[in-house]
Amino acid sequence: METLTYPGVQETLYREIMSNGLEVVVLPKEGFSKTYATFATRYGSIDNRFAVGDQAPLSVPDGIAHFLEHKMFEEPTGDIFATFASQGASANAYTSFDRTVYLFSATEQIDANLETLIDFVQHPYFTDENVEKEKGIIEQEINMYRDNADWRVYYGLIDALYHVHPIHIDIAGTADSIRQIDKETLYRCYETFYHPSNMFLFVVGGVQPEKVFELVRNNQARKTFEEQGKINRFFDEEPASVKQQRKTAVLPVSLPKCLFGFKEELPKLSPEELLRTEITTKLMLDTLLGSSSPIYHELYDDNLISDSFGHEFNSSPDYAFSIIGGETRNPDELLGRVRAAIEAAKESGLNEQSFERTRRKRIGGYLRLLNSPEAIAGEFTRYRFRGADLFQLVPIFEDITLAEANKRLREHFNWDRMAVSIVAKDPI
Amino acid sequence: MIKSRFERGQLNRIRLHVMPTKRFKTFSISLFAGLPLAEDTVTPVALIPFVLRRGTASTPETIAFRERLDELYGAGFGFDVYKRGDSQIIQFRMDVINDRFVSFDKPLLAESLKLLGEVLTDPATESGKLRSKYVNAEKETLRKRMEAIINDKIRYAAERCIEVMCQGDPYRLHALGQRADIPAITAESLTAMYRKWLSEAAFDLYVVGDTTLEEVQALVSDAFRIGEGQSASYVMPSVSKPVNEVRTVVERMDVNQGKLNMGLRVHTAYADDDYPAALLYNGILGGYPHSKLFLNVREKASLAYYAASRLDGHKGICTIQSGIEIANYERATAIIQEQLESMRSGQYSDLELNQTKAMIANHLRELQDSANEMIAYDFNTVLSGKERSADELLRQVQAVSAEQIAAIARKTELDTIYFLRDGKEE
Repeated sequence: METLTYPGVQETLYREIMSNGLEVVVLPKEGFSKTYATFATRYGSIDNRFAVGDQAPLSVPDGIAHFLEHKMFEEPTGDIFATFASQGASANAYTSFDRTVYLFSATEQIDANLETLIDFVQHPYFTDENVEKEKGIIEQEINMYRDNADWRVYYGLIDALYHVHPIHIDIAGTADSIRQIDKETLYRCYETFYHPSNMFLFVVGGVQPEKVFELVRNNQARKTFEEQGKINRFFDEEPASVKQQRKTAVLPVSLPKCLFGFKEELPKLSPEELLRTEITTKLMLDTLLGSSSPIYHELYDDNLISDSFGHEFNSSPDYAFSIIGGETRNPDELLGRVRAAIEAAKESGLNEQSFERTRRKRIGGYLRLLNSPEAIAGEFTRYRFRGADLFQLVPIFEDITLAEANKRLREHFNWDRMAVSIVAKDPI
Repeated sequence: MIKSRFERGQLNRIRLHVMPTKRFKTFSISLFAGLPLAEDTVTPVALIPFVLRRGTASTPETIAFRERLDELYGAGFGFDVYKRGDSQIIQFRMDVINDRFVSFDKPLLAESLKLLGEVLTDPATESGKLRSKYVNAEKETLRKRMEAIINDKIRYAAERCIEVMCQGDPYRLHALGQRADIPAITAESLTAMYRKWLSEAAFDLYVVGDTTLEEVQALVSDAFRIGEGQSASYVMPSVSKPVNEVRTVVERMDVNQGKLNMGLRVHTAYADDDYPAALLYNGILGGYPHSKLFLNVREKASLAYYAASRLDGHKGICTIQSGIEIANYERATAIIQEQLESMRSGQYSDLELNQTKAMIANHLRELQDSANEMIAYDFNTVLSGKERSADELLRQVQAVSAEQIAAIARKTELDTIYFLRDGKEE
């Protein structure tokens, strides 16, 4: 057991890697009633072509990682939600671009709930019949999202940005793609990505680390996993250009929703450099376009944006893009105004005082996030999977210079690599 | 189980509720202001917080006001307008980190309460009135918010169902008000409404963090210029409206998925002794993934991705919501009605009962880990006049018998079926 102390945020972590490769991290929270555990695999919607070791690459239907997540909850004895409920735990799961996370939160029977979490995720049970049955449910999930304007405009933008990278594929797939899913393919995906060496267990709450490690050690000792080679993921080469400059969907909405984003090819960076680039970019975007920026207030005063106006930046070794926007009465006027403001900022550089204030705001926001066990578990896993440490962000926030932010400002906004996504009640 | 309690105080018209605790990295502050929901005041009252958040007398420009929040290490600041029982409630929320994590020259709790006090009692004005620029801009924002309800079909269907169900009752009103009322509002009329609100609303200020009642009392006394007098209290809602016949309403919009909603009258509210049994009724019916609706509509029939129920304890209404294939309307309605019938005839196992008790107990224990959830739970006491700690409610839930749930099921009446389906019809 390894102990990691973080005086800056007043937290201590305990970590152990099981002999089968499973990494376990425990964060005791004194005085907390609840324990929150997440069991995650490095497997998400983008992992649609892969091979283990020197096997031949396998291409799988869109939406299969999410489908697999649904199916894991079924055991020969019935639905695992019922077991958790009997043990007073509320359980859930989610699939994102690059990971699938199973979780529970409970205030009692923590040992039993931890065993249940590990056991059900390590026990697939797929039959032709139960796979078929799930298709109706997931089709309704897909239909629900199709009616959701915020979802449509957001994923519509990512789809417009990327030609071939699977990040542009809907996480749940489509009604057609999920029809192609069968139990054999589900098992193949399961065996590849749910090997303990590809997974991460995080436990936060009123627990004793040594007891958690002992429970997991004993649990894993009862199971055998064959050693697994390296998982190789295959992506076609993504062109630098955007796939579609403007993408519009028609839905009954009160005002057009307009998001635009810039696609970037970051040079091959180490995990540390990538993290620093991401944080710098977010600081830059917030200084430039955040709710305390002059441009935000001008646009609000001119009734071009509402409180929904926001920005984000996503990066991984394979992709990097920003998303900016919200609802607006006039997408083209909004775009023109933001473009002019960005061009002016490229000339003048960011205001130093605003930059310092934004730095302080984001440090505060980060510390506030550490109040929530759910947020810690989710974010810790996300950072861990990209080779970074959630508890070591403050020194990076403090270290970034205005010059770095200005450099990102000039690099990021390349108008040839911008796409726009609009959802409106009439075609625009 | 209770680790810390709210200490109570009073400052002029504001009730104070302070929980001293070192468990969090922040101070969490909530200010609740409530008035009875009424057709002629609902819209201007809803507009008040939109205008107040634009600036204060000392920082009248919005950008300077936002910068002040950023200086306080990005203090979270927001507000919400909603209805509980027959009251319209405005809640301002602030979240600021504890000074021990940063080096700042001013105490963050004091600075935050100072800012909130200014927002509430010392807004940006011109010639004695709220700034007309802000009033006009926020009228537009409020209008857009009302119109945006249609964008989220799940929420839209849920709100339409309540509107249909509560015709003739103040609860039919949307918390944000009515669009038709907006144009007539002026800086003058809104200022008058703001003053009336300040002198009549029920105010409750909550603080959770590493502080004391005495400290908060002193800070609030410095920062809030609120008039002397008694605190107002909340009116008890009416929850006993009988159902004559089930109303069915079908509306059309350009949607892919149908939204099937139902409204039931439970005839039991938060303050009632059988409220714990009503919680279990809702939990067994549709509160969780082990509940009847999830199992029968989703898992057995594959008709929906979500099918759930929710209890509004302050109004004694239980609502059901699900998203289905439009062609499956009859089937889904029949399956949901079967679940209601099986609740009425007491067809639930000890397992379902025990699972539901365990889930509710877990939720009540988990509250203790979140400052905002403890505040929200405690505010139920203020709203309903019923003193019932989370501990007590937990014990009462554990003690509920199958017969007590059956009694709730027998008096629960289906009132409204609402279906949002495809096809334009405006």
